[in-house]
Amino acid sequence: MADTLLTNVTSEVASELPIKNIDVNLIVYIISIIVIAYVLTWLLSFILIHVSERIGWYRTSITMTIPLLKLLVYIVALYYIIIAVIEPSLTQMIAFSGLFGAAIGFGLKDLFADIVGGVVIIFEKPYQIGDKVTIDDKYGEVKDIGIRSTRIQTPADELVSIPNFTLFSRPVTSGNAGDLAMMIVIDLFIHPSSDAEKAMKILKEALVTSKYVIISKKYPYTVLLEDFPFYKRVRAKGYVNDLRLEFEFKSEVTRRAWGEFQKEGILPPSFVPPSGTLRGEPPQTST
Amino acid sequence: MGHEGKPVCENCIIGYERELQEICGAIERSGSDAPSHVAIIAEQMAGRKTLVAEIRRIYGDRVHYLPLDFVIRESDLPDFSTLASDIILIDNCQFLATRVIGGFDVLDIFLRTQITSKKIFITAWNTYSWQYLSSVMHIDVYFPTIITLTRMDTPVLKQVILSRYKPGEIRFIEDGAAERSMFFSLIHKKVRLPLTTAEIPLPWIKLNFTLMLRKLPRKKRLQISIEDVIFEKINRIAQGNPGVATLLWNSSLDKNTISLRFITETPYSISLDTNESFILSVILSMESLHEKDLAAIAGSEMDIKQVLYRLVQQGLVQNNAGYYSIPPFALGPVIDYLKKTRRLW
Repeated sequence: MADTLLTNVTSEVASELPIKNIDVNLIVYIISIIVIAYVLTWLLSFILIHVSERIGWYRTSITMTIPLLKLLVYIVALYYIIIAVIEPSLTQMIAFSGLFGAAIGFGLKDLFADIVGGVVIIFEKPYQIGDKVTIDDKYGEVKDIGIRSTRIQTPADELVSIPNFTLFSRPVTSGNAGDLAMMIVIDLFIHPSSDAEKAMKILKEALVTSKYVIISKKYPYTVLLEDFPFYKRVRAKGYVNDLRLEFEFKSEVTRRAWGEFQKEGILPPSFVPPSGTLRGEPPQTST
Repeated sequence: MGHEGKPVCENCIIGYERELQEICGAIERSGSDAPSHVAIIAEQMAGRKTLVAEIRRIYGDRVHYLPLDFVIRESDLPDFSTLASDIILIDNCQFLATRVIGGFDVLDIFLRTQITSKKIFITAWNTYSWQYLSSVMHIDVYFPTIITLTRMDTPVLKQVILSRYKPGEIRFIEDGAAERSMFFSLIHKKVRLPLTTAEIPLPWIKLNFTLMLRKLPRKKRLQISIEDVIFEKINRIAQGNPGVATLLWNSSLDKNTISLRFITETPYSISLDTNESFILSVILSMESLHEKDLAAIAGSEMDIKQVLYRLVQQGLVQNNAGYYSIPPFALGPVIDYLKKTRRLW
């Protein structure tokens, strides 16, 4: 019923618009605009990503502008297509675009929900290109925020496309919120009889001497101890200076700390702690 | 080119008068119950040695001077309580700690000795080492007086350098005849673009200082002389580091004559991986480190010989009998690069 009503209203408004004759030239023109818009967005992404890679500290500041620029290009392209077809007045254009959008929305509501999700991501910035995020149980680095979907690269080097609409229905976690540094939690489990104080000192020094760490008032670090029935957990929290190196950072600190633990006679626990203690990751009882 | 001008004032402290007064004030204020320990912080060649020498000159026998030239062990630390002097002046304190597991123990012992001592400790540190240790160990809380030698402004630098000469002894020449036809000269810099291996000449606009000077209104021309333009250029290249600026001045001076053309800038194109950046930042913050200390910091997973070879090849590091340091003219570019890549915090 609503569909029929909307179709009738759309037809009435459309009949009052000065629609041009659709010929081959017009179709070629529209295709050209779409191709130019696509090439331009690709070129913008390519250039800005390469510039951001060379700029170091401000990498994410550059990449965060990419989705916005893409949106601008597509809006301008759409504007040129509309005026090429109907040459409307401003009032007509507003009325028509509202009805046109609603009409298409009924048929392609999922696609439009993704586009709206894309616009929300651009302006609200729950995550940005370059962030480490978890969306719908998928973890990885945001490589691209498109009009329809967000592409993330997982640690296993898979490129996962997630519809932008997911933002409205699923929790989204950003590990760094636009910053290049990201907090990393490193857990080491030791035998209950081992010298926990010495283990804490070693883990602290392994963390602060790492080649990947960044420490300042903005990026503090801490080392904590927790006692469990069959083991002790020594936990270090510190920031990696570039989130792309999170796994190298974890590995380097763990390896060096365990090397020193062995020299000091600090033993791993006989009981392997359950993996749930490490946010779904396997326990790092030894390396 | 050589430098033949005779220094007039060898022990001048131009540019650091305020800092010296603060240090003297801290010494005079210090009672034996609660000595106000001092930390002097400066980049390599930025005047730390000059200030330390001046303190020694002023306080003479009251000072026990302990310069550290290499990473020290616990046994290298003297028993400060047995020393007769009431001022302990320690230079290159960055050698009290190294970036390895267990590398902070000597510093920890030193700081604990210092806070229980009745003597006043004046310690001099490399800026980047200090920043690292402040972040990691909060060493700043142990020093009520912290003196930071900041980058020098051009007028002060000019005063520092010219104080070594008699008035009129140095001739400043306006030259650059080839560049006078335009305000800006179009030159071609060779750059390496992303995704390409070959260098391409890129058009580049170069400011023509000489002509700009001549075209300025009469009032301003009186204020900006060729002398000032020359010192401006020296200070820009040296990035406010008086030691580097003095070296550049000496190498640009030809028979007590200097012109803009004589002052040349060494170009650096720095491209380093994580290991190389890390080792370079360690060398910068320690100023000079022996290969065996670098190997300990690098650990087993890094091929330190390969890393050092790459750094030496790029002219970013020099080897002096096994000790690696950063050449003076590479200091500015290295600091810029390491800041950009978040190696210096």
